[in-house]
Amino acid sequence: MVVEGLLYTKDHEWVKIEGDAVTMGITDYAQEQLGEVVFVELPEVGKEFGAHKEISVIESSKAAGDVYCPVAGRVSAVNEELNTRPELVNEDCYNAGWICKLTVTDKAALDDLMDVKKYEEYLKTL
Amino acid sequence: MQGSTSGGEFVFEAPESEPVGSVLYAEHLKLTSKSRMSGFAGYLMPLWYSSIAAEHEAVRARAGLFDCTHMGALEVSGDDAAGFLNLVATNDIGKLKVGRAQYSYVLDAAGNVLDDIIVYRRGEDNFMVVVNAANEPKIKCYLSELRAGRAVVDATDPGAATRLTSLHPMIRDMRDADAGGDCRVDLALQGPASAELLAKLIDDPSAREGLSGLKSFALIQTQVGGIDCIISTTGYTGAQTCFELFVHPAQAAELWNLILEAGGPLGVLPCGLGARDSLRIEAGLPLYGHELNGKFGISPFEAGYGWAVKLQKEFFIGKAAMERVAGTYEMQVARIQLPGARGIRPVRLDDPVLDEQGVCIGWVLSNAKAGENQYALAYVEKSVASEGKSLGVYYLARSASQVQQGRKQNIEKGQTAEADLTGAVVSRFARF
Repeated sequence: MVVEGLLYTKDHEWVKIEGDAVTMGITDYAQEQLGEVVFVELPEVGKEFGAHKEISVIESSKAAGDVYCPVAGRVSAVNEELNTRPELVNEDCYNAGWICKLTVTDKAALDDLMDVKKYEEYLKTL
Repeated sequence: MQGSTSGGEFVFEAPESEPVGSVLYAEHLKLTSKSRMSGFAGYLMPLWYSSIAAEHEAVRARAGLFDCTHMGALEVSGDDAAGFLNLVATNDIGKLKVGRAQYSYVLDAAGNVLDDIIVYRRGEDNFMVVVNAANEPKIKCYLSELRAGRAVVDATDPGAATRLTSLHPMIRDMRDADAGGDCRVDLALQGPASAELLAKLIDDPSAREGLSGLKSFALIQTQVGGIDCIISTTGYTGAQTCFELFVHPAQAAELWNLILEAGGPLGVLPCGLGARDSLRIEAGLPLYGHELNGKFGISPFEAGYGWAVKLQKEFFIGKAAMERVAGTYEMQVARIQLPGARGIRPVRLDDPVLDEQGVCIGWVLSNAKAGENQYALAYVEKSVASEGKSLGVYYLARSASQVQQGRKQNIEKGQTAEADLTGAVVSRFARF
């Protein structure tokens, strides 16, 4: 499942752009691959990440998956709800299962993101 | 494919090949997506159908059906079969009655575990040996090298090889199409509701009765929904009510669907590799390469199965090494219960296990979540592995950013660390 209006990475993160801020999470494909999510390591609020740097680790009962920062930015908020309800990543990855919000510090990497059509095509190649 | 021995160690290089679908592949694709298939021991097998937790729970509360058609099944038969197996396997075949099964090990002359096996005695001179899928090519090669006198049988006695070369059992791959009508692959039906379900499907009333009285590690041959099956009371889930059904591969899909259809109203679920692993870990059962052999070279004694190595037997391959190990081993596999509710980070392979002073006394080998707990099977110092003992686990770095924050990537025995999670040693095995 994919959602209109979001941008996507090859590592299966989604990004929602709201002015200078972005909200990010992992896609349905990614949560499906991980299986039951039991733990999400959230980044620290205020911390800066370069584009493509590891920002979070999501662990299922069988695997740990790195989440990469889709665009350079500073963490402005994290989804604290995931500390006690990591299963939201499985149940509602595009909404309640969001991971963090970033204030974009360099927009360059936004150009590499795929729109929904391109991401759907990319999924077919996997 | 090749096997060679040096100093009593049997070295085998498995041929590289792309994983292929099991005989039930088409059935799996009806139940789950291709993306949930994973390569395992040369086969594409489903990791889960519904979810690991739901399938785990189904086996504990009701029953689950597993595709085990990737498991190796070898027939050893003829006048010399029992004598041959008694030299190759560590347990005592002489004590194995017709219609019963026995857990055992195949070792090389240096005492390395080549596989853990179950030997089923179908007749006085007819045995079915079930081996791990990942080890099947190695065991087939080893047995043929032994018969030909090309593998070391006793490093201190070159003449010992004649013990085996003088015997002439017939060895046949039961999954090979050449086996014709007597071809067999394994399905496992495990959990409390499995007896009731199977009884419904067995045509012959006397076989039905026989099944209900069957002891653990026993077998009968009968028809299930008109399909010829060898049914054994064995399994890999810790369920006290457990069956494996050995069926002709051409009828495996029919049997699979028959059981799932009849089991549907009972809440029986098809189960994938994920639940197979979490169930065996919760029960304390070893997986070859993790709790047996593997990088620590874990022996049957350390794994908690010294009883399956009969040192009183006059001879078996690897006996001298086992005699040494039996009196000197200092590490053992322990089952540790830890908090495992959602939101608690799972412990992982190689995470160090700490005593109450924070000193590393061993490492995690396997881990699984079960309900609100997680269970780790860990390789720890024998002296601290007693039941009830409180132990800690340190999370090794899971990512590069954690390394930057100072989280360690490995901890040696004797080094200290602060525990991230605390639990306790529980009984080595659990039955459900």
